[in-house]
Amino acid sequence: MAVDVNSNKYTFFFAAVMVVVVATLLALASESLKPMQKENVANEKRQNILASIGIEVDAADAEEAYNTNLVRAVVVDANGQEVADPKFGAFDIDVLKDYKAGLSNIYKKNAGDMDGMKSALLAFGDGGVNYPMFVLKKDGEEVYVVPVVGTGLWGPIWGYLTISSDGKTVIGAVFDHKSETPGLGAEINQASFQKPFEGKSIFDESGEYTGIKVMKGGAKGSEHGVDAISGGTITSNGVTEMIVRTLKIYEPIFRQLQGQASMVEEIEMPLDSAAIAMDSLNVELRDSLGLSSN
Amino acid sequence: MSEVAVAEVKEPKEPLFSKKNRALISNPMDDDNPITVQVLGICSALAITVQMKQAVVMTVSVLFVLAAGNVIVSLMRNLIPNRIRIIVQLVIVAALVIIVDQVLKAYVYDVSKALSVFVGLIITNCIIMGRLEAFALANKPWPAFLDGIGNGLGYGFILIVVSFFRELLGSGKIWGFPVFGQKVGALLSDGSLATEATGLYALGYVDNGLMILPPMALITVGAFIWIQRARNTKLIEA
Amino acid sequence: MEYINIFVKAIFIENMIFAYFLGMCSYLAVSKTVKTGVGLGAAVIFVLGITVPVNYLMENYILKEGAMSWISPELATMDLSFLSFIMFIAIIAAMVQLVEMAVEKFAPALYASLGIFLPLIAVNCSILGGALFMQERQYANIGEATVFGLGSGVGWFLAIVAIAAIREKIRYSNVPGPLRGLGITFIITGLMGIAFMSFMGIEL
Repeated sequence: MAVDVNSNKYTFFFAAVMVVVVATLLALASESLKPMQKENVANEKRQNILASIGIEVDAADAEEAYNTNLVRAVVVDANGQEVADPKFGAFDIDVLKDYKAGLSNIYKKNAGDMDGMKSALLAFGDGGVNYPMFVLKKDGEEVYVVPVVGTGLWGPIWGYLTISSDGKTVIGAVFDHKSETPGLGAEINQASFQKPFEGKSIFDESGEYTGIKVMKGGAKGSEHGVDAISGGTITSNGVTEMIVRTLKIYEPIFRQLQGQASMVEEIEMPLDSAAIAMDSLNVELRDSLGLSSN
Repeated sequence: MSEVAVAEVKEPKEPLFSKKNRALISNPMDDDNPITVQVLGICSALAITVQMKQAVVMTVSVLFVLAAGNVIVSLMRNLIPNRIRIIVQLVIVAALVIIVDQVLKAYVYDVSKALSVFVGLIITNCIIMGRLEAFALANKPWPAFLDGIGNGLGYGFILIVVSFFRELLGSGKIWGFPVFGQKVGALLSDGSLATEATGLYALGYVDNGLMILPPMALITVGAFIWIQRARNTKLIEA
Repeated sequence: MEYINIFVKAIFIENMIFAYFLGMCSYLAVSKTVKTGVGLGAAVIFVLGITVPVNYLMENYILKEGAMSWISPELATMDLSFLSFIMFIAIIAAMVQLVEMAVEKFAPALYASLGIFLPLIAVNCSILGGALFMQERQYANIGEATVFGLGSGVGWFLAIVAIAAIREKIRYSNVPGPLRGLGITFIITGLMGIAFMSFMGIEL
């Protein structure tokens, strides 16, 4: 039985069979393995959050350790105000997915224009963008873990920054990446890059928000700077961008922690009434966060 | 199709490791090296030779995909229509890589994290397409398997040599372990960062930062070719 | 303006060969003379200009999570992104073969000069690289994606023509025997790559 393998009929037949077989195999593999993959991803997230407050655990113990250390998880909107009944719980918000689904474009378009960015963020999707924040216990104090996400040279980069209970000092940072260059940008997931973040401050002495900048060589002695990776300039710039931009969203919360009035916010508000509304919101937030205004 | 089949039946059975089959493994190591002679798989060789660890992971992945892809294509060689053979080969390779990645993601998450960076690089690695096209399509599964192993090893050999020099000269490390002493800011075993340089660094030695940049991979491979051809003069181009 | 920005960036700052070292295999193998270099380069521009927008449509209307909501709202939760590699590569291979057939039928003269290079292109990593960069960078519309594809192609074209011209000249130079051919090409490309690094970090 000789089949002409080069006839049109056979070619179509072969292509059709191949498509069906390959698609079935891939779909089968993807679907049947999805629950385990999701569990792995969730555990990695817990591990990362714990690592940013200095606790290293195995994936198997991550869930338990996370639950013991977690005080509460909050969801905030683009104004840095807590959302009363969020659509997703804080842990279920996938910041990386949101980032890819359109936030990256908003950030890029409105770079340097905070007001424009905020209004775009508040109008995003239905109900605006939600940002998660995890409050954990460390040495008896409450610390605040914030996920950050941005773009490196080849693809997305992300991480967690932990701010201490004083609202301005970084006490831990972890970063990871999808596909940065090994030995260069990929070094951001190494302790030698992450350690120097500890003890840095995201506000300067006059109380102005600065964030933390990853700088080439110039970090010596700076309160707000960390040494960049040589040869990994674009990745380093990406880290700076994501930290400065993301922490800015949470700025009102950090300011409350510092017991300062959010002066900057008030000045930027065009209307007195808006400022008053803001204040009352702040009070509400403070109450709901269970913070005392010291 | 019938011609090929007849020709194969008439061949006398040869032992599994005949001279011809052994050459399939040994040739790609030197005379017929995929990178330095066949000019295949350069992109990935440049992208991941900054550290030895990455080079080894990549070698193992390519070895696996190349051997498995070669065997599958060779088994199907009389069924694949000529006109769509390239697309068929690509789909086989891509499906293989994706399935492996999915399985690793579910069962050995750590390995998958290390590997996922390479998934794209493996699929487009022209060694795989080149060998499928040039060898597997015209040969029986066993020689095709050996050809896959041989070329994978030949490829890995260059990767490991190049990454050895780039890691040593570029970051002063071998397999992640510092060999020239401790730099300022390096992570110490107790979790703190070093404040004083030791070893060669204390004497003023500085890592050659250029070595970790991609252009130096090209120049290192160029130097490797120079050495190889000085030894093996029959490879010299006119 | 945005288009010009993307175009210039793709050619010089994010050059496929010198910044990302993609598509090296065919770059090294087919750069012996300027004529073949121009042929392959033109084919790459052509194929990148077609496959990047097609893959863009694929990504945004089928693969991405929620991308299929235009068919019916129930499909909004479908996430087929695990298929993206295989879809991109299949589209590239299919487009290359379609283009090959179309050129052969309608422009035999062009086919005579370009034809032999087209099959080579399916395995050129710069083509899949183009698709993956497109996916990663989230271009706002299909116009931007097309411009990016064309720009990357032009950058690749420039690179291969430049190295081919150098290789034509270097044939008359006294290069040490073992370094002749491939070896010296590697080293020259490395030096050109270092030169192109000066474009890195330029913001347009």
